[in-house]
Amino acid sequence: MSISDKSERALSIDELLQRNVYDVDDEPHIIVDTEKCLKCRVKPCTLLCPAGCYTLSPDGEILFSYEGCVECGTCRSICPMDAITWNYPRSGRGIYYRFT
Amino acid sequence: MRVVVGIKWVPNTQAVRFDPRTGTLLREGVPSIVNPHDLVAVEFALELRDKYGGEVIAITMAPPSALKGLEHVIGMGVDRGILITDRVFAGADTLATSYVIAHAIRKIEREIGHVDLAVFGQETIDSSTAHIGAQTASWLGWPYLYYVTKAEPVDGKLIVERTLEDRVEVYELELPAVVAVAMRSRKPRPVRLANKIRAKLEKPLIIWSNKELGLDPRCVGLRGSPTVVAKITFTPEVPRKKKIYRPRSGDDAAHWILKSLLADEKASKILRRILGGEM
Amino acid sequence: MGSIPTRFDVIVVGAGPAGAAAAYHAAKRGFKVLLVERGRGAGSKELYGGRIYVGPLRDVWPGIEKEAPIHRWVVEERLSIIGDGEVATLSYRYSNPVSFTAYLPDLTRWMVSKAEEEGVVFVDEVRVDSLVRDGEGRVIGIRSGPDVAYASVVVDAEGANRLLLERAGIVDALDAKRAPIALGVKEVLKLPKGAIEDRLGLSDGEGLSWLIAGTVTKGIPGGGFIYTFKDTIAVGVVVHLGHSVNAVEAGVLKESVKDLVESIRLHPYFKRLWRDSDIVEYGAHLTVECGLDYMPPHLAYDGLVIVGDAAGLLLNLGYTVRGVDLASYSGMLAAEAIAKAHDLGGMNAENLRVYENMVKESFIYKELVRHRGICWLTKERRFFTSYANILLGILSNLYVQEFKHPTVFEAVKASIRSGGEALLPLIGRILKVVREL
Repeated sequence: MSISDKSERALSIDELLQRNVYDVDDEPHIIVDTEKCLKCRVKPCTLLCPAGCYTLSPDGEILFSYEGCVECGTCRSICPMDAITWNYPRSGRGIYYRFT
Repeated sequence: MRVVVGIKWVPNTQAVRFDPRTGTLLREGVPSIVNPHDLVAVEFALELRDKYGGEVIAITMAPPSALKGLEHVIGMGVDRGILITDRVFAGADTLATSYVIAHAIRKIEREIGHVDLAVFGQETIDSSTAHIGAQTASWLGWPYLYYVTKAEPVDGKLIVERTLEDRVEVYELELPAVVAVAMRSRKPRPVRLANKIRAKLEKPLIIWSNKELGLDPRCVGLRGSPTVVAKITFTPEVPRKKKIYRPRSGDDAAHWILKSLLADEKASKILRRILGGEM
Repeated sequence: MGSIPTRFDVIVVGAGPAGAAAAYHAAKRGFKVLLVERGRGAGSKELYGGRIYVGPLRDVWPGIEKEAPIHRWVVEERLSIIGDGEVATLSYRYSNPVSFTAYLPDLTRWMVSKAEEEGVVFVDEVRVDSLVRDGEGRVIGIRSGPDVAYASVVVDAEGANRLLLERAGIVDALDAKRAPIALGVKEVLKLPKGAIEDRLGLSDGEGLSWLIAGTVTKGIPGGGFIYTFKDTIAVGVVVHLGHSVNAVEAGVLKESVKDLVESIRLHPYFKRLWRDSDIVEYGAHLTVECGLDYMPPHLAYDGLVIVGDAAGLLLNLGYTVRGVDLASYSGMLAAEAIAKAHDLGGMNAENLRVYENMVKESFIYKELVRHRGICWLTKERRFFTSYANILLGILSNLYVQEFKHPTVFEAVKASIRSGGEALLPLIGRILKVVREL
């Protein structure tokens, strides 16, 4: 549950994703070979994944979390390292859009 | 074995929002799902059927929209679903709900066949009472166990394991019996194409209203519910600091956690109080 | 599960506007149809800008204007160019609206309910993993986990993210650097009752469509958009993905795409429009930027036809985007073609290519070809950066004067010079833009 907020301020990606409905699968639908990310110079996923699923740890590693994924497919189309095994969630799980 | 599994059609509580100005819950457009802990119970029932034969019947007391939930578990492999729906059942607390469920199980026994086991999830995400299993067992007069992680029929009895924090207990249950399955004890299987096509073409669904069940209106719905919810308040969300540390070893992790806690004024005070002179 | 019938005449993968139309029209023609959708119910995985052109949909969905969950009829178009502090806005008011806004999940549910009324077997919560082919490469069904369902013909309506066609080797693996794709990201804001009408000058049931060019996309080809719904407003951006990757590589783009949307929501010029609003949803979806370049080599193969976004049938003109009507229309054509192929003797590629011809002869393809030049624009970065500034410069030269106003020509010349452009080549490019649009 999140709190309704009508203030005019920039929201973090977590705050934005909290507005969505998800039924998160027990198993991730996307697998990232983060070993490959270590050799990636650009890491475009950290800026272009609209759900902020790819973050950089303080020591420069890619941390991936699938829970907030909006299933758009951006990451798989921009990954320079071919590090992503991409699929949709099963059983109707994942994002559930209502007002889009 | 004929196993009846109870499921609840609940609002996806993750998506419910709270308006602090009006103190109300914002539930517009919040879809319902099958209570996730009940899917664990469904998986438990399906595993028993797959191993020992028989059938699994899912049962739910809800408005007609819950047919979607029954279709979901039929998609997982449940053989048929029963929806108990009637305006007189609305507003029920756990006592009135379990009263209806217990009588529905009696009706299954009369009309479909002998029931060996009734299975429930540990609790629901929208109320967390964990009452239904125990209360249904009481109405039926059947033995009941909760936090169940394993079951195996042996010579007409059920050998049941329940996993507690520090031990595993093994019981021998006379059948028929009721069990509540420990949450997260197994992963529910995915919905399958063939099962979903079957759900659509064969419609293995039964709908019972109180016309079929014939229960005393004073014992069901709002009238049969002695529970009063006096007040609901919400705990404020605590912003997390989200620090990430990749430890080299268990010792290293413990060291880092302790160091971080001691660096935090509040946490270190609590720690010092607990540990007293040892620090 | 041996007793379960898993043979159909037609299997449609994806219950979006294209798949629902194909299923509906195939069932209407007497075929036994299975419609498979990965989401929970129809529409739950769908996201678009917000506006739908009604013309072609009248043919596909009789009664749509009366029955469908329409929010507002678009009576006004606005186009804004925004710079660092300045905004230039052009607006156009219709005498007769031609498009409406609706929540795509709701509209799709309506379409699928129509299909079910015609006898379509609709199955949700099922992800299709691959197309099933026989020894000769003919598509004979679909696979989902351990299950296979068979059909004489499969309609691929999987959308812009074409996992099935990739796995079947029909199209290349999606690569933003080569494929003409863009990412749309949007927020839905819920407004107090009556606020949309009051703040945007609209009457009950009237809506507007507002496209935004300029600095909103940090020089990446694309733009922003605003659409009005019953009591919500959608605010979003679309960015060309290949250029976005380039911008990250070059260090030009330092913020996340989510921040681009947030900067429109919090832009001083726009934010007053949604004062006291609550964000109720946030999402993103891939979209096709240049349909003809996204089209698979063929739209029909042995046992397979491809419709909607998966077929590249989306028209992005810069000042407007059309996808839902084209998708639905192509689904209807696919069903007609399947009926013709059936009469011709079977669902082989030769017979099904009737569909390809029907698409090519329809308004869809003609529009895509006629507006092909727009693809050049999506590669023209300058259009999204310096040209926007030049236009704003012209306007500020004209208006921001306390004593002496320049002539229009002087204002234009000064602004172009300060934008670092030469006049003649710029005029050439502007003429090209005008011609292509």
